[in-house]
Amino acid sequence: MYGDLGIKLVQHAKRTQNLAHLPPYQAELVRAVTREVRDLNKDVDDLLEPFQGSFDPAEDQAVAYTLLVNHISMRRNKRCLLAYHRTRTDKLEELVWNGADVIDLSGQQVRDGGASGSKGVASGDGSTSSLSPQEEDYVRQYGDLLAAYKGQWTDIDLTGSLEPPRDLFIDVRVLKDAGEIQTEYGAITLTKNSQFYVRQGDVERLIAQGYLQKLS
Amino acid sequence: MDIDDILREVDPASHGIPLETRDLQALTRLWVAERSAPELLNWPADGLFERVNSKIKSQIEKIEDMTGDMDPKTNFALIVIQTELERYKFLVRSYLRTRIAKIDKHTLHYLSTEELRQRLSPTELAYATRHQALLHNHYLSSFLSSFPQRLQNLNDTAGNVSMIDSPDLDTAVFVRLLREKDVFGRGTDSDTILPAANGDVLIMRWSSAKALVEDGDAELV
Repeated sequence: MYGDLGIKLVQHAKRTQNLAHLPPYQAELVRAVTREVRDLNKDVDDLLEPFQGSFDPAEDQAVAYTLLVNHISMRRNKRCLLAYHRTRTDKLEELVWNGADVIDLSGQQVRDGGASGSKGVASGDGSTSSLSPQEEDYVRQYGDLLAAYKGQWTDIDLTGSLEPPRDLFIDVRVLKDAGEIQTEYGAITLTKNSQFYVRQGDVERLIAQGYLQKLS
Repeated sequence: MDIDDILREVDPASHGIPLETRDLQALTRLWVAERSAPELLNWPADGLFERVNSKIKSQIEKIEDMTGDMDPKTNFALIVIQTELERYKFLVRSYLRTRIAKIDKHTLHYLSTEELRQRLSPTELAYATRHQALLHNHYLSSFLSSFPQRLQNLNDTAGNVSMIDSPDLDTAVFVRLLREKDVFGRGTDSDTILPAANGDVLIMRWSSAKALVEDGDAELV
């Protein structure tokens, strides 16, 4: 039936909105929906062909309705595809803002795959990524764009925390070894399970990346 | 902050509000307004952000100068300045991020007419244009290129459905009146005209409040 595949894409998109990670790209579905559009378009062309451009909807209502249904189905499929891709790019943009990069994303998927028992897949390179090649390109380019925009505001650090700053210094606990960092007050070596009282601005990035935990 | 600053404060000749304070107030106002308004507001044209930026730079330099000093008094001042700087940076960051979020959401809408384009700063305009191009390319390479030619547009308005999404201008906002005025508000059932005094806080549709805010009769809260 027309549009059945389109609604599947929309359902995928809806589900994606509530997930923390990005589910695999539905390349098969996208291709199928695109094919449906092409077939429908071909039908439209075939239907219109005998009329040689002098088609009068009032005279031949059956054909007119078929055309209308085909046309609306095509538009609907297009909307479904756009919605699906937009949801995913929004998600990707969010990840870019949070400082993830494409390699990280693929890596994360490999780990997820390993955790869910499909260890065999994790050995492949790139095939485990849940992003389509086009999406990887997009993330890379968007990253560049964001970096360019951020470059205008070097002192602000646009990707910093959006929580209003309360204290200059905070207590943090180290969750993962992060090596040595340089601060204005000298170097600190961050070893696992140790606790520090540091300037928030210095460690924001590490908190976002999950190396440190903020203690309230 | 040194002795000159303190002297200047007690000096009656410069008793007006200093430019820095006014800038901070302006920035805070802009930030509050931008966060509550459903659509993108105008980018401040009077060079406010150039001033803010140079202030932030000079504060960073000052902090760097002071860091070497181990005197407890400077240390205390340092903490105060750093805290203030973090707050200032937060304001700017949050303001810019709010705008970017709005632009991302309705990119084509803000790029569609010259009047709307005017609201963006040059860097934001560059960002929006480039972002839209990226998105379009992504759609094209993912599926759109195999579509029939006449279905490839992203800004169709055929069939009474515009593909360009625009912000909902009828969302409710809170405004505080800055002078006495009869306020006209559009309602669901009927429209009303309400006499309001300076300082009154009203909730109304943004489409009705917009003119008041732009004329300076009210501010968003």
